[in-house]
Amino acid sequence: MPDVDREPFELFLILEARLLDGRRFRDWRDLFTEDGYYWVPAAPGQESPEDSASLFYDDRELMQTRIDRLEHPRIHIQTPPSRTVHLVSNVTVEAADEASGEYTVASNMMMTEYRLGRQRLFAGRQTHALVRAGNGFRIRSKRVDLINCDSAFEAMAVPI
Amino acid sequence: MDGTAPSQLRALVTPERVHRSVYTDPALFELEMARIWGRAWIYVGHESQVKSPGDFFSTRIGRQPVVMVRHSDGSVRVLYNRCGHRGAMVVAEESGHADAFTCCYHGWRYDTDGRLLSVPLPDGYGDGFDLSDPALGMVPVARAASYRGFVFASLAADGPDLKAFLGHMATSLDDLVDRAPDGAIALDAGMHRYVYRGNWKLQVENVLDSYHVPFSHASTVNRKGEQFSRREGDRTGAKVVAQKKTSDAWKGRRSYVTGPGHGWTSNTALDDGKRSSPSFDAYRKTLADKVGAARADEILTPQYHNSMIYPNISIMGLNMHVRVIKPLAVDLTEVTIYPVRLLGAPDEFNSRNIRLLNVTHSAASFVQTDDLEAFRRAQEGLQSQQSDWVDISRGLGEERPDTKYNAVGELATHEMAVRAQYQAWAEYMGRTG
Repeated sequence: MPDVDREPFELFLILEARLLDGRRFRDWRDLFTEDGYYWVPAAPGQESPEDSASLFYDDRELMQTRIDRLEHPRIHIQTPPSRTVHLVSNVTVEAADEASGEYTVASNMMMTEYRLGRQRLFAGRQTHALVRAGNGFRIRSKRVDLINCDSAFEAMAVPI
Repeated sequence: MDGTAPSQLRALVTPERVHRSVYTDPALFELEMARIWGRAWIYVGHESQVKSPGDFFSTRIGRQPVVMVRHSDGSVRVLYNRCGHRGAMVVAEESGHADAFTCCYHGWRYDTDGRLLSVPLPDGYGDGFDLSDPALGMVPVARAASYRGFVFASLAADGPDLKAFLGHMATSLDDLVDRAPDGAIALDAGMHRYVYRGNWKLQVENVLDSYHVPFSHASTVNRKGEQFSRREGDRTGAKVVAQKKTSDAWKGRRSYVTGPGHGWTSNTALDDGKRSSPSFDAYRKTLADKVGAARADEILTPQYHNSMIYPNISIMGLNMHVRVIKPLAVDLTEVTIYPVRLLGAPDEFNSRNIRLLNVTHSAASFVQTDDLEAFRRAQEGLQSQQSDWVDISRGLGEERPDTKYNAVGELATHEMAVRAQYQAWAEYMGRTG
């Protein structure tokens, strides 16, 4: 594991989670690079989003379509909206290239979601590919491996 | 429910309405398991899920645990997933490979055709104990058959054969499989699974219900009233709304019914003729090289938007997938959706279909999630004593025989297909023999 101070990375992940919990989806999308993508596999250890089904596999354009829908007044699955809280923990910097400013950051996540009298829990391991941008980072890719990714889910509307 | 006499069961469905207990009564659900799911040909799985001898896929027919397995002779068998000894489910994994099945409890061991091979400590059994007694094995379900790789089974020994059961719906499977340059598809690109707190028939109705789309899926429609593209090579999706009203193109869609509750919706008017993208064009060329340009054009002129083979499998031709419906309880249903991979098509083309399906039908998709909310609310609303009846009268009396398809046709935004499903329901449920 590279000798890198993990604190700025941990803080970045915490702020990313805060944008999701605050339903600031456009600001969340803007964290991604132009070629960035967001991937939640539908099978444990899934190798590629290209040859197998995924829960989410959004590039920036698809993220925008998703967000337009999340902001649409007639999105029934978000009427009323979900309330979520993320916990991000066990953050480690797995790879670092200081010269190019590219980092791979692993963490554990839990998202508790409440909607219409029901509360449910999502838990998994996240992997972020980050690129340094000014004083902060942008996300080149975010992968969330839910421990129950291959189970049958009730509808999910908000990004994990 | 007042009673289960055939006349009482049939009275739960009239030409224009359905009694709410059909969705909410646990006793009716039990009866459905026996009279519909215990009789009809139920889609079990696809041959591509069990490519080699020993490959298995475990699932349920109604609530009966079964395992579909390729035997050493190459045939595909459907066995009850139950140990012949004390009844434990033998195969716990959803899919995998086994040379033989061994029960985890006492170690009874079965061949992949269900024959009992061995038991530990055989000396403990008397002289009458015979390993070759079929009742001690994993028993094959009464009937199993396949059509173009789709494996169906019936728990009933009697009844129409699969070909007669499918009738015209076989062409819906042909329509999909013929698109593959190699003439076969594979359901090996993972799956989407969702569960909802509602009756299974809510999903079955929904797949042939074009009436709900402009309103229920409003959040998927852009300012021009068009849905996002759901098919590789199209620039946009279907025109659903025009000037805040359902568009004429959408209103003109047609649906057809045939056989015991089966039906389909005709093609959605899209960019046909102008459909083009690098991966679609490459696919079209591959197909034309195999089957000839004229036949390729015919195959690529879709006949079906989607179809429903009652009661548990729906095929979608638009963004290609197979949907399988599993009732878990009167108010709980699981649905599995398999992306279709066209064998012989360029990887990039198959990949585009897989990716588009994430957007429309994953548990986190843009389209399916609003349906799931509607199913949940329907189940809750049907608890209400405000009325005992659900209205399915839209377009009643406007059904017309269609000689081209030997079916009955009507506007897809009407409710003919739903009515046909409940006529089939009443026929299955009202028959005791």
